[in-house]
Amino acid sequence: MLHRQIDNLGLWVVVLAIGVTVVFLIAPIAVSILMSFDARSYLGRFPPTEFSFQWYARFFSDTYYLTGLQTSLILAVVAATVSTVAGVSAAVVLDRYEFPGKQALETIFLSPLVIPAVVIGFAMLLFFALMGIFQGFPRLLAGHIIITFPYTVRTTLAGLTGIRKNLTEAAMTLGATERQAFWDVTFPLARTGMVAGAVFAFAFSMDDVAVSLFLTSPETYTLPVAMVSMMRTNFDLTIAAASVVLMLFTIGLILVLDWIVGLERVIGGGVYRS
Amino acid sequence: MAVVQLENVTKRFGNFVAVLDASFSLERGGILSLLGPSGCGKTTTLRMIAGFEEPSEGKVLISGQDVSGKRPYERNVGLLFQDYALFPHMSVQQNVAYGLKRRGKEREYIDSRCREMLELVKLDGFEDRRPAQLSGGQQQRVALARALATSPEVVLLDEPLSALDAKLRQELRIELKQILAAVDATTIIVTHDQEEAMSLGDTLIVMNEGRIVQEGNPTEIYRNPKTKFVAEFIGRSNWFSGFLGQADSSDLCEFKSTQGSKFWVPAPEGVNHQGVSYEVCVRPERILATSVEEAQSTSNSVNVFKGTVLNVAHLGADIHLVVELSTGERITVSEQFVGQRLEQTGEQVQIEFRPADCIVVPSGT
Repeated sequence: MLHRQIDNLGLWVVVLAIGVTVVFLIAPIAVSILMSFDARSYLGRFPPTEFSFQWYARFFSDTYYLTGLQTSLILAVVAATVSTVAGVSAAVVLDRYEFPGKQALETIFLSPLVIPAVVIGFAMLLFFALMGIFQGFPRLLAGHIIITFPYTVRTTLAGLTGIRKNLTEAAMTLGATERQAFWDVTFPLARTGMVAGAVFAFAFSMDDVAVSLFLTSPETYTLPVAMVSMMRTNFDLTIAAASVVLMLFTIGLILVLDWIVGLERVIGGGVYRS
Repeated sequence: MAVVQLENVTKRFGNFVAVLDASFSLERGGILSLLGPSGCGKTTTLRMIAGFEEPSEGKVLISGQDVSGKRPYERNVGLLFQDYALFPHMSVQQNVAYGLKRRGKEREYIDSRCREMLELVKLDGFEDRRPAQLSGGQQQRVALARALATSPEVVLLDEPLSALDAKLRQELRIELKQILAAVDATTIIVTHDQEEAMSLGDTLIVMNEGRIVQEGNPTEIYRNPKTKFVAEFIGRSNWFSGFLGQADSSDLCEFKSTQGSKFWVPAPEGVNHQGVSYEVCVRPERILATSVEEAQSTSNSVNVFKGTVLNVAHLGADIHLVVELSTGERITVSEQFVGQRLEQTGEQVQIEFRPADCIVVPSGT
């Protein structure tokens, strides 16, 4: 009897822990979404009594925010594209070939994951200053490629390791060259890993503050950086509206990609890994 | 002309010798079984013929042409993988059509050839299924259809049945043989399973530690293994080690085992066998055990022993007895169960086998 009670107790503790986690994840986001529709002109108590789109109107008429949004979108698309192409190529090499220093190379590729973003940002700022590059966009692009690259390498590698080598060999005995075998067999099977990497890269690029803070220039800054600086100077609920816009862009992209390639189906599907 | 020919092929991986000085040839329409334990070099041999490995020394010829340096897609070799290696993202039809497409065949030909192949393996109607929706046996047949579709000069089968359960394996073995005969495929089968090797192949090559140890017809190899390794690897065996005596007029020798039993064995070829250490193998199914009371006096041309039954195992169609001879040597006897009274543990029995059923091999082989 006692054992069963302990088991039941354990179950309730787990359920409670999950519940608390969900609340902590969702609640702040829900609060800021609700507040972004607040009709009051000042920062009032939660919950809002009346709703309006005034903060959104302000956001979309403020060139400071809009410039940031534009930079963020361009930056995220370019950085995610570059880092996906580079990450996929790196992962294919790491997965297929044996060479001395392979382990070390893999560690280096994944190292931005464990190095604090602030350190990367500062290091890159110094590096670019030494190189004499002071324009915002190239610096931001380089920084964002570096912080998103580990995700594209990692997810592609995960996709590739599920694919057995003899599928490539089977294709080759059937008349396919190495390159044809890659495009006919490896690529379609690893596609989901690559797309997942691209999604992560886009989301992390849109979201990054720590690296971007160091690399922005007065003319070129990202939306999160703009939000941080607005928060310091004139704090109002436009920031809440900006967060929702940022969130919508990221969610929108994930939904579109999911619709195109069936992300969930492929990530979860045993069929593709056989 | 030989379809596949290996001339003194050696393959090294660093210091490790995977295959050493292997030579054999296979005629059109022949089925060759490469049999050996894991790590004996049979898979490496297969991969050299397919073009995934290059020989370190020697030559591989396909239809008389040296194929060294040719990539797998530049050879016309069909390969059936142990785990089938079907493309999971393609339908059955697309899998079978893949090779034809890559070899630049026309659409109409591809469609008719696919239909023909799927009919051959009895999977017509499964064109649109995905491999994951098929059973293991069906997947294997798709893989076979895919490998045969391009009419390869030689079909290589890597442990073709080992991924299937025992009952299905027997059914598919017969079917596989029929399919290969129907397309008159020249085939090399790599396996560690002696039943698979013997039942499918019309020639058998036994490999061990990278070398070919014996080549011949399966029955011949079973009856006349040249070394202890071959005798042990193919079938079950009872072993005696000892020395040979003088041959008598009828080409029999007396064999004295180190444990003290004496019996007649065929004299091995060559003269200098006196004083040389030999091993003698007797197959369990060639030994007769009868209880002492029922035993009739037998002629002198038969080796007769007395022993005690240590264990009786009834396996269904077969019965296995373990008998301890008075010298302490233990012998396994296998007999067919036809409803007879079973010997009991501890019972005294008479054991007999003919000298001609003794296989004599030099020690240390």
